[in-house]
Amino acid sequence: MAIEDKCSLCNEPAVIRGSENGTRLCGSHLVLDLEGRVQKNIAEHCMVSSGDHIALALSGGKDSTALLLFLHHLQPAWHGVKITAITVDEGISGYREETVMAAKNLTEHLGVSHHIHSFSDYFGDDLDTLLKGHEQRACTICGVLRRRVLTEAARKIGATKLATGHNRDDEAQSVLMNVLRGDLARLVQDSSSGSPGSFLPRIKPLLTITEREVVTYLFVRNYCTDLPECPYTVSALRLEIREMLEELESWCPGARDALIRSRDGMRRYASSLARSGALQVCRECGEPCSGEICQVCKILASLRH
Amino acid sequence: MQVILPDKSVRTLPGDPLPVAQILMSLGIKPSGVIVVKNGCLVPDDVLARGDDQIRLIRIAHGG
Repeated sequence: MAIEDKCSLCNEPAVIRGSENGTRLCGSHLVLDLEGRVQKNIAEHCMVSSGDHIALALSGGKDSTALLLFLHHLQPAWHGVKITAITVDEGISGYREETVMAAKNLTEHLGVSHHIHSFSDYFGDDLDTLLKGHEQRACTICGVLRRRVLTEAARKIGATKLATGHNRDDEAQSVLMNVLRGDLARLVQDSSSGSPGSFLPRIKPLLTITEREVVTYLFVRNYCTDLPECPYTVSALRLEIREMLEELESWCPGARDALIRSRDGMRRYASSLARSGALQVCRECGEPCSGEICQVCKILASLRH
Repeated sequence: MQVILPDKSVRTLPGDPLPVAQILMSLGIKPSGVIVVKNGCLVPDDVLARGDDQIRLIRIAHGG
């Protein structure tokens, strides 16, 4: 084996090369490195406190699978912290069945409490039915409705935090999407602290690791499974942004992090503006929102007309 | 050498030693979008592949 095929820290074969510093890591050192970085991110941003009940959004896909593995590993070091996995079954034929099954298998294997909630229970129909004629807006509609189900499901179990598997690539994509949409309010919105009596604090423990590192971690730990692609992804703006950022990152390493840092800077400067709009209650469903009617009710009304 | 693409289709290429990333680009695949399994072992995309090596590609980005 050529020397360059080895881990920078030992003689084992390397499985990954850092895109920015070129460090090569074997499977064992990658796992240690990622676990350390996730733990550091959680500690630095005070994401978990003693006695927390964490509702973990588990789709059964790669990011949420990795999130559950990381938090399950870290849990013994936390005092009185409980984790409950919540899976939202949107009702996407030929796709969600397999990922729901993957979520079930994983939680059974780890011994983690697991609840499954469906769009049909909350909105009367599955996503495939709700979307008829509105497929171009699939990801926006699905995202808003899924967040509502997650929030309500987390509230039902008395959760104090809602953890999602967003990684560094997801976050950079979201920054760019909000910039391209000219959505300053969403760009600077910070949901990590929640709001007493209304929004549940959301935590994103994987924000310091990349999508490549997530997939490599799962492969090394034998959790990398071949799951189907969501059929609605093809119509997503995020897909275009993802490819654009991949290209940008390949010849301008660090572009992704710079985008996130820019957003964080803007968030600090704009925090007073973001708080200026008083929180209201949706006149349709009674959920907290920033206007008279919440996004969920607006979407459901638009789908029914 | 054999290259198994993320959609499971197989390409057979000459066995000249080349960095995997270069092989991927010649196939129109962005190295940033996949992880590389060479002869059953996960490897960084700048390692060389040659001769009878089997390269399997796993798509990183996954919708959902």
